[in-house]
Amino acid sequence: MVAWGAATLAFFLLYLSGDPVDLLLPLDASPEARAELRRAYGFDDPLYVQYGRYLWKLAHGDFGVSLRSQEPALGLVLGRMPATLELAGAGLLFALLLGIPAGVLAALKKGTFAELLVMTLALLGQSIPVYFLGLVLIMVFGLKLHWLPISGYGTIRHLILPTITVGTFVTASIARLTRNGVLQELRSDYVRTARAKGLSERVVVYKHALRNAAIPVVTIVGLQLGTLLSGAVITETIFAWPGMGRFVLLAVEQGDFPVVQASVIVFALLLALVNLAVDLAYLWLDPRVRYA
Amino acid sequence: MQKRWWILIAAAFLGLAWARGDTLVIAQGVDATTLDPVNHQETPTGNVTANIFDNFYRRLPDGSYEPWLGEAKALDNLTWELKIKPGIKFHNGEELTAEVLKFNFDRLLDPKKPLKYSTYFKPIKKVEVTGKYTLKVYTEKPFPLFLTRLTYLWVVPKRYIEEKGADYFANHPVGTGPYKFVKWVKDQEIVLEANEAYWAGKPKVKRVVFRPIPEASSRVAELMTGGVDIITNLSPEAVPTVEGSGVAEVRSVPSIRNIFIVLNVKGEGPLNDPKVRLALNYAVDKEAIVQHVLGGFGVPVGCPLNPYMFGYDEALCKPFPYDPEKAKKLLAEAGYPNGFTFSMSAPSGRYLNDRQVAEAVVGQLKKIGVKVDLRIKEWSTYVKQILNRKLDTDAWLIGWGNAQFDADNTLFTLLYGGTVEGGPPQSKFSYWKDPEFDRYVLEAQQIVDQEKRKELYKKALERVRQGAPWIFLHQQKDIYGVAKRVKWQPRPDELLWAFDMELVK
Repeated sequence: MVAWGAATLAFFLLYLSGDPVDLLLPLDASPEARAELRRAYGFDDPLYVQYGRYLWKLAHGDFGVSLRSQEPALGLVLGRMPATLELAGAGLLFALLLGIPAGVLAALKKGTFAELLVMTLALLGQSIPVYFLGLVLIMVFGLKLHWLPISGYGTIRHLILPTITVGTFVTASIARLTRNGVLQELRSDYVRTARAKGLSERVVVYKHALRNAAIPVVTIVGLQLGTLLSGAVITETIFAWPGMGRFVLLAVEQGDFPVVQASVIVFALLLALVNLAVDLAYLWLDPRVRYA
Repeated sequence: MQKRWWILIAAAFLGLAWARGDTLVIAQGVDATTLDPVNHQETPTGNVTANIFDNFYRRLPDGSYEPWLGEAKALDNLTWELKIKPGIKFHNGEELTAEVLKFNFDRLLDPKKPLKYSTYFKPIKKVEVTGKYTLKVYTEKPFPLFLTRLTYLWVVPKRYIEEKGADYFANHPVGTGPYKFVKWVKDQEIVLEANEAYWAGKPKVKRVVFRPIPEASSRVAELMTGGVDIITNLSPEAVPTVEGSGVAEVRSVPSIRNIFIVLNVKGEGPLNDPKVRLALNYAVDKEAIVQHVLGGFGVPVGCPLNPYMFGYDEALCKPFPYDPEKAKKLLAEAGYPNGFTFSMSAPSGRYLNDRQVAEAVVGQLKKIGVKVDLRIKEWSTYVKQILNRKLDTDAWLIGWGNAQFDADNTLFTLLYGGTVEGGPPQSKFSYWKDPEFDRYVLEAQQIVDQEKRKELYKKALERVRQGAPWIFLHQQKDIYGVAKRVKWQPRPDELLWAFDMELVK
């Protein structure tokens, strides 16, 4: 269902932008060459014929062939998926490892300088554009300090700057949500009960309050994965990261329809999977959901 | 675990150190789409394949060509004889013979499986092997562009492709060129290694790596930290940064691309009068635009051609002098002493500071009382409007590259008006009808005698100067950022041919 919706959307949105033959050939290509290409790819058929053929092929697992490289579109997209998942995964890990402790800290130290610092940084992190952040990081850590490679792929060192770039926004969101969540939970009855039982503050915060505060955080993480993936488009472009995002961007610019369509479907399925994972995480976090 | 970390970190540093040694790293905006040298349309792809393969004729830095893998001679108007240099071998040991070359032509001419370069060889009827290293090429009609088109004939191996298949070949190419293919990691790098047995001499650079880096500022940053040695398409704004870096410098070369404004789309109103069009040419200060808008990265030109092209004539291509007084006089003579208004389209980001160039023209025309309603267009929309002749403005700014280096591609494609009876219809880019011009251009397509063709193009250019169908602006320069350790001068055909390059200490 998700795949069909995405496929249909991808098809009609691209169709609205016109047939890509004019972009594929150089300006001085002959009208015959254009007509030939149009015929070869079936762009001269009526829309419903094209749509039917497209769905029929999709149903058989045929995503078409890239107009540029003549290779199967799905293979091209999937070949670039690991790099994107790696980046998104690293970004998420970074966000969780930094965002949650920062949020807890801000909640516990409410009203102190530490809270002010965390919240200011979080505000900054949420408002700074990915593009700008990436360039600043390149300038500072690549150009001035020579600590880290500026672009490319392959080693842990190559991963650091893109991870920070793609993960900062999510880190900031998680920090703020965690802080609010923990603050709220700390005021609730069960926490007072736990404290009254004489449990240590550490157990109260980490075992009880944080676990309950985690539910909105998990929701936002699920939603933010979309942000992460779209941030990957820009991040991959800046850092020459060989992932799907940058590949799709190029395909859109060049009018490579089959590649764009294949990647829209892959992205959609990926997000559907993430949503499923989020639902499963609820089950684990909140027993009430399990029994409902 | 600890150990593995250290290996990773050591490898990373090694990688960096290794990149600074015998290896030349070139950063382009995009990755290659294929490594089949005759089945692509992008300069970045051609730059990679040009190092692996050889073309039958080679383009020289001044725009002319010379025999390379062999020589071709016209036997008559319809027959050419090709002689291959004996003893040339592909990287897999296969020898380049007439049979192999015939396979190359047949592959390009196969109507069932057209390649992107097939269109360049369309007029060829058949190819016949006449000896181990000789063959004859028969054309359907006179094909004066045959020699210049031979620079597109990047020769591929017959046996290898027949055994491995075209798809495998496109990812694991084997050629006769100065560099052997090592590996291609998509969107990351293409690694080439010197072909020590290259028939034209040993390449000086041992290893060449092409890296796609889409973001322009990341390319600049990589150049400045020594991560890469050559970057393409440097913007004029980045020039001071690169010049000030100490490790790299800016090198540029006038390109084959001219920038100009096509006038009189509607064929009526003031722009229909040649006097008015001439006035506009006098009213634009080309020199000022090149200096102030392009940072000096351009050369004013007064005709559709430039010095690299066959058919160029220095006297007839001199820029129109900046003379607003004369422009006003011409306008008055044409009956517009107080000027007039017209509309103009221009792209943004397609050519060097294109939008700013258009704005500068608008500002200068204002000084002679001509008001321009400028509309900046998104490229894909713009292309469609141009190709379908559906432009909604009276004039449009465009750049033309002419990869043939021959006047025909520019004059016929952009200006032919379709006035010759029985001849082809008006070119879709032309908004000018001049019967005399049309006749010269068609005649030049029918003969292979290059001297006679030159005469015809001279006459054609005279008509263009009088008719002024465009506002002629400038020839654009290609700008590169190059590490100081690289000995190399950029070429007008944008080719990054590592055989031309050397690394110095």
